[in-house]
Amino acid sequence: MGLHSYFGGATIQTLKMAAVPASASYSRFVFSPISRNLVALDSFPRHSPSPPFPLLARALSMAAAVQTTPPSSEDIGTATGSVGKPQWKAAIDFKWIRDNREAVAENIRKRKSKASLELVLELYEKMLAVQKEVERLRGERNAVANMMKGKLEPSERQKFIEKVLNHSASGKNLKEALASFEEDLVKLSDELQQEAQSIPNMTHPDVPIGGEDSSAVRKKVGSPREFSFSVKDHLQLGKELDLFDFDAAAEVSGSKFYYLKNEAVLLEMALVNWTLSQVMQKGFTPLITPEIVRSSIVEKCGFQPRGDNTQVYSIEGSDQCLIGTAEIPVGGVHMDSILAETVLPLKYAAFSHCFRTEAGAAGLATRGLYRVHQFSKVEMFVLCRPDESDTYHEELITIEEDLFSSLGLHYKTLDMASEDLGAPAYRKFDVEAWMPGLGRYGEISSASNCTDYQSRRLGIRYRPAELAASTNPKKGGKGNLAPTKFVHTLNATACAVPRMMICLLENNQQEDGSVIIPEPLRPFMGGMEVLLAKHHTG
Amino acid sequence: MGLHSYFGGATIQTLKMAAVPASASYSRFVFSPISRNLVALDSFPRHSPSPPFPLLARALSMAAAVQTTPPSSEDIGTATGSVGKPQWKAAIDFKWIRDNREAVAENIRKRKSKASLELVLELYEKMLAVQKEVERLRGERNAVANMMKGKLEPSERQKFIEKVLNHSASGKNLKEALASFEEDLVKLSDELQQEAQSIPNMTHPDVPIGGEDSSAVRKKVGSPREFSFSVKDHLQLGKELDLFDFDAAAEVSGSKFYYLKNEAVLLEMALVNWTLSQVMQKGFTPLITPEIVRSSIVEKCGFQPRGDNTQVYSIEGSDQCLIGTAEIPVGGVHMDSILAETVLPLKYAAFSHCFRTEAGAAGLATRGLYRVHQFSKVEMFVLCRPDESDTYHEELITIEEDLFSSLGLHYKTLDMASEDLGAPAYRKFDVEAWMPGLGRYGEISSASNCTDYQSRRLGIRYRGNLAPTKFVHTLNATACAVPRMMICLLENNQQEDGSVIIPEPLRPFMGGMEVLLAKHHTG
Repeated sequence: MGLHSYFGGATIQTLKMAAVPASASYSRFVFSPISRNLVALDSFPRHSPSPPFPLLARALSMAAAVQTTPPSSEDIGTATGSVGKPQWKAAIDFKWIRDNREAVAENIRKRKSKASLELVLELYEKMLAVQKEVERLRGERNAVANMMKGKLEPSERQKFIEKVLNHSASGKNLKEALASFEEDLVKLSDELQQEAQSIPNMTHPDVPIGGEDSSAVRKKVGSPREFSFSVKDHLQLGKELDLFDFDAAAEVSGSKFYYLKNEAVLLEMALVNWTLSQVMQKGFTPLITPEIVRSSIVEKCGFQPRGDNTQVYSIEGSDQCLIGTAEIPVGGVHMDSILAETVLPLKYAAFSHCFRTEAGAAGLATRGLYRVHQFSKVEMFVLCRPDESDTYHEELITIEEDLFSSLGLHYKTLDMASEDLGAPAYRKFDVEAWMPGLGRYGEISSASNCTDYQSRRLGIRYRPAELAASTNPKKGGKGNLAPTKFVHTLNATACAVPRMMICLLENNQQEDGSVIIPEPLRPFMGGMEVLLAKHHTG
Repeated sequence: MGLHSYFGGATIQTLKMAAVPASASYSRFVFSPISRNLVALDSFPRHSPSPPFPLLARALSMAAAVQTTPPSSEDIGTATGSVGKPQWKAAIDFKWIRDNREAVAENIRKRKSKASLELVLELYEKMLAVQKEVERLRGERNAVANMMKGKLEPSERQKFIEKVLNHSASGKNLKEALASFEEDLVKLSDELQQEAQSIPNMTHPDVPIGGEDSSAVRKKVGSPREFSFSVKDHLQLGKELDLFDFDAAAEVSGSKFYYLKNEAVLLEMALVNWTLSQVMQKGFTPLITPEIVRSSIVEKCGFQPRGDNTQVYSIEGSDQCLIGTAEIPVGGVHMDSILAETVLPLKYAAFSHCFRTEAGAAGLATRGLYRVHQFSKVEMFVLCRPDESDTYHEELITIEEDLFSSLGLHYKTLDMASEDLGAPAYRKFDVEAWMPGLGRYGEISSASNCTDYQSRRLGIRYRGNLAPTKFVHTLNATACAVPRMMICLLENNQQEDGSVIIPEPLRPFMGGMEVLLAKHHTG
């Protein structure tokens, strides 16, 4: 099967960094509280025109101040009510958003997003202003400190003392003013983060604009099979073949749970095994992932773990959730790290169970295995250089199509319309396969290019290698390091087991109620070629 | 592989019953409130010697009264404080417990259980007394109703009216008294249920008495492998072979989580596939189960889903939990049903992921894969006639031993001592295998005969030829707990060059792979 030979070159060289706490991940906005050793007579020149003194203090973490942000002062005017402090910070490129506001606004319209660009830009400008003021005040404070250390010329010292005296008339104290602005800055930065996180990813220029009906068919393979007999759905077939138990699961667990039984167990194992062996041959590293993860990882991948209509099961008394897809734990593997460019692309194929509340799914197609609370899935995940993500998106959809063609399915591939894209997706290709028992096409996979939406939240960067070598050949040490960039991430379903089972059972049924097993799966089922109704073999 | 031929005779004929709510499952203790149509002059003869009237009322559900049980009256004296109402009722055989109190007391001592037999028996006797009184009062009430319908002879009617007149002097009303006793009965029954649920299963006579050290070695296979080189543990081997990622999992999920990577994924798939194919050949029906279940099912299987030291993850905002073992959802498959005797034994082999909080595991062996929050497992589960459970227990431990022998492990099988048995187990056989990297034996499987402990809670009965129904016996046994098997395979099969030989039986399930090679050797 050639599985073994693959592993030779699969060693992954990653430069793993310590996790950065939320309050430190935006260090350019964070300053140290004033040291108790500094002079205490600082006056506050809030409206003073000229910042007089050179710098001294170092930027340090201000975690303590973050915890106790008071209401912002009136003249700053951040009167947007109390906004929850974000638990983590995405490295959102606010400057880029400001400089491309037309394009961002158009994108928000295209995707019918509820994000408010106006508010984001307003908060950003306010934050910049406060930041400037903070920097100016820090300069003053540091100058005072410097002065007290006696490093100034006598004449300058005299000027300074005069200034201090003048300003002290304003009745405000430099130290207090700086602290107040710093608090405002933290608060503004939190609000900005909160608002900006709801801005969706940009959209690939080829994505059709509009609602679900606007999605474009990229490809169509095969045609619906013609049946010379009355077609059964997978539930009826499963009953006759003794493959499922939904009734017992409803008692034990609740509705939309199920037991797989007899050959259905073998079919699941075969689907997973065959799929893994196929994608491993294409260079994907297999993983089995945790199915309980911290809520923050779910958020960073662009899912909402809380709220009334969440799809996410939470663990009681913890900050943990059950995963709805292996995309989440795989996205987390390289969180907060800088990868060497040479290890890219990283391609993973992750097997996991997936858990979904299916809140709000009442009224949707819910018969049998189509929409269930728990299922097995093999998910592909790619981390790559930005310039390569379109190419890997094509590769992922091709792999999916090849897999489904090998199993003999009739399907079509859709380029999903702008309003149908989740916030993280730049572009999404869905595959819908024909399910004759249900009498319609049903989604069996989805391949998304998330560009840097997830990597900016998960903190996954790489360091370009070539640039450094070519531009600074003579310099040694740090000068050789090119600036880091965010990787692009892509995810794609290789095999969602229950939907594949629907397709295989309903498309491959025979008049006598038996079901033919597709050729590629047979070696993974001990050579079994057909599922026979129990009364035929008993 | 012969997998296919097995399924021919595997059709399971079960007679599935509707689930019975807790308040109705003990209908002989539950009576209807007195109808408003009945005569209102009933006096209450609480201390009266003679119940006067024949029957009329029907026994109906008294669900409303159950919800509003008042404090019991003084002369009943159930002064045990407020006991939580059980969410479901186990069909515990109180009469048997009373008639075998010596043996039950001895069993509680043997197992160092905290159950209070005295309290259970006291509550049971009280309940019987109240039950008797309730039945007597119901008789009186029904007689009154009958009398009013004029079916009595004139002379009897005269006697009756005299009695009613006499009793009315007591100032109490028959209707009220009956309602009060009925409420007491419900409350006593709840308390009794609560207390009795903590009584452990009885113990097989051959089980060694005492603590962990008293467990007896039943069997020993092989001997620790002699290594001519310095032995690595599975973590070190996994690092060199790039099989696990505990560091990333600690960030993403928390400590004691892990990713399996590269050949470890293939090894897990192979272990599960091979194990399933082996046990299917022995007549076990394969299952893949739900991993989220209602808390009540967890309780009925004898686990505690709540409390500070629970091993069970609960789902927020629901009554659901994650399973710690497939024993739970498989136990639930036939819940509240009566099986035909002819379908027994039912043998299942269930694959599931298992989730455990490992609360209180600090200080225990926690290196690497040994004690983790999530793992894959194939679990065997048998439902059988009571007279056959010892035989199937032997069959299960033999299957386990055969599986582990096929993989070339050195292990010993223990007959676990009485104090080491969980409440549901009548007898438990553990298998401990040699883990050279960890330098000790570690538990890799456990096979328990739970007799009727679980079936009395889950409501699983069978019916022979028109005979009365009986509770089935249930047994469970690990066929393959993947991470512990990985520890054994990696640590025992390591070679001096850091490679690991894959046992023969697993190779066909890994595309013919024979050895795991360190990455720098093959790159």
